Amino acid sequence: MKVLRIAWKDTLTRFRDRKALIGLLAAPLIISALIGLAFGNINFGGSEPPLSHIPIILVNEDDGQLGQVYEDVLTSDALADLLDVTKMDDLQAARIQIEQGEARAVVHIPTGFSNQIIPASTGASVGQASIKIFTDPTSTVAPVIVKSIIEQISAGINTVNLAAEISAQQAMEYAGILGPELARLAEILPEELSQENFDFETQKLSLNKSQVGEVQQDINAFAYFVPGMAVYFLMFSMFGGARSILDEESRGTLPRLMTTPTPISEIILGKMGGTFLTGVLQFTILMLASRYIFQLSWGNSLLGLAMIVLLTVFAASGLGALLTSFTRNQLQANVVGMTVSLVFGALGGSFFSTQNLTGALDFASRLTINRWAMDGLTKLTISGAGFNEVLTEAAVLGVIGLVTYALAIPAFQRRFVK
Amino acid sequence: MSETILKAQDLHKRFDKVHAVQGVSFDIRQGEIFSLLGPNGAGKTTTISMLSCLLTPTKGDAQIDGYSVRTQADKVKQVIGVVPQEISLYPDLSARENLAFWGRMYGMGGAQLKERIEAVLDIVGLSQRAKEKVETYSGGMKRRINIAVGLLHQPKILFMDEPTVGIDPQSRRRILDTVLELNKKGLTVLYTTHYMEEAAELSHRIGIIDHGKLIALGTQEELTRTVGEYDTLHISVDGSKTDPGALVEPIGKIKGVHRASLEDSSFIIQAEDANTVLAGIIAQLDKAGARVLNLRVDEPNLEAVFLHLTGRALRD
Repeated sequence: MKVLRIAWKDTLTRFRDRKALIGLLAAPLIISALIGLAFGNINFGGSEPPLSHIPIILVNEDDGQLGQVYEDVLTSDALADLLDVTKMDDLQAARIQIEQGEARAVVHIPTGFSNQIIPASTGASVGQASIKIFTDPTSTVAPVIVKSIIEQISAGINTVNLAAEISAQQAMEYAGILGPELARLAEILPEELSQENFDFETQKLSLNKSQVGEVQQDINAFAYFVPGMAVYFLMFSMFGGARSILDEESRGTLPRLMTTPTPISEIILGKMGGTFLTGVLQFTILMLASRYIFQLSWGNSLLGLAMIVLLTVFAASGLGALLTSFTRNQLQANVVGMTVSLVFGALGGSFFSTQNLTGALDFASRLTINRWAMDGLTKLTISGAGFNEVLTEAAVLGVIGLVTYALAIPAFQRRFVK
Repeated sequence: MSETILKAQDLHKRFDKVHAVQGVSFDIRQGEIFSLLGPNGAGKTTTISMLSCLLTPTKGDAQIDGYSVRTQADKVKQVIGVVPQEISLYPDLSARENLAFWGRMYGMGGAQLKERIEAVLDIVGLSQRAKEKVETYSGGMKRRINIAVGLLHQPKILFMDEPTVGIDPQSRRRILDTVLELNKKGLTVLYTTHYMEEAAELSHRIGIIDHGKLIALGTQEELTRTVGEYDTLHISVDGSKTDPGALVEPIGKIKGVHRASLEDSSFIIQAEDANTVLAGIIAQLDKAGARVLNLRVDEPNLEAVFLHLTGRALRD
């Protein structure tokens, strides 16, 4: 019981400290918002109704079967409530419609698209096919939806052997974001694809997306950087939380606690518990704030998300405790905490995607808590993964937490009992 | 005031090469205010830390209310209240929240805790400002809440480690009055200080500690008796019209004067009672044409005792 009292006291004092709140909540939200604004995919209050009757223009210049697949899916009854598709022949005229605010996006399927995908009977080599999406730069949610639908169709085509399963699975994972209509893609795609005769093992579709009047951009930047910043600032606050035990030592409250009939193990567990509770609250508030202020989706698996968040906080607070237990004083703990937070942030994917890392850098990245946390979070939020698909990340984070706490608690006991 | 509540026996504490406390023994009787008086670094806080079960003695032991600080720390912690030298409070919490937290650390809760919080706030006179954050308090107010925490669980003995350091005279006076008031109600107090006046005013008995050793122990009267019972007169004169050295002998022969000497132009005269010899000395000086520039009378005090025992002033 005293453990909980100490933990709650620590959490209360942390959230009452206005300076600390900047690092806990304000900084990650502000930086994420700036990144979102920079990438143009942030929505501050729903200036557009995102989830129904999105006006898009389809310019299908392909006279083959594949272009027809996209057209059939986009204009299917399943997506009728989500998309209002207008077909046009002139791409330039369609783009002008975006500039005039008449449409949110233009999907352009170029001439010869199918021919580049379907192998010629002569056995001639084929090139890579591209569909382009032009979007309204002032629009935020609609481009995400259109891009996701096109990705769903492309993913289904790319993996024909598993087309039905993957499409169904991915469609269900996106259903929370895009609405139930998209979930019906699972029914449509297999039917469409079964009529085709593609060499899907060797052919790949690619997707180009650009905004009218702007350069090509990554539509999921905001969805990536909010978790990135949340994990990054979580590391800072967890180190700060662990350091608070040294603050209490120098302020005299820790020695005073030790003169009360409270075992030192309970005091240390209470302090660690306070740090853990602070981290969980910090992350939860950031998730809720980004959800309701920026309309950011955190995926469909609440259980998976809760597991990754709790274990990330567990691992981060454990590492903070371990490193703090071996530092000489608050200043040293501060320097170590900041250094580790920065290095982990840089290596672990808080500032950029680690997907393309290879060799030593990839290995180093995998030594960081940020990497495993980001892998788990982006699987949940961007790829729409479920609970089972983030078990590896959860297990690694759990082991880090267990090992670091197992080493830190006895180290603190040795340090404070004189 | 007869039953012994605390008995320290040959307490030692060594930190690596520093032997901070070297064989300190004393006892405290129930209802007594016992002061440990000594300069900074003398070993007062280390001693009180061992008695608070915060530090384990390197050698020796102490019994508090019959419990050993070595082997029964949990029992000891229930009967002692500790007021540390630092303001050991949470500045972001209000006084009431601080008291509630610390009360719970002593296993209190519910109506009992609420009642005790109100009682101790009343004792330290901060009931009206209990909702305010401690960080908004003055130094003196923080000290008073620091004391209130130590009283929450109604300890049998209160350890107060230099509770008046760094505060204004008014707050200091208030704290001393609080200590006296608590003692009147039966609370036993172990008080450490380097202020001779505080020890003199508060204490039934005083232990003088220096370099980790208890060098004297007794009531104030008993201690001052060790340096003799003479008042000391310091008289500075204008020696331009006469030779002050020639006056040492006649002053020394005045009835009641124990000893007279001259340092520069100042006479240092020891007498059984300064009041009875002062008129004769002034007359002697006046007769010789030596004008008195300054005069001070020191009665026997703890400062003199410390000086006598260590050769150093207490505040060195």
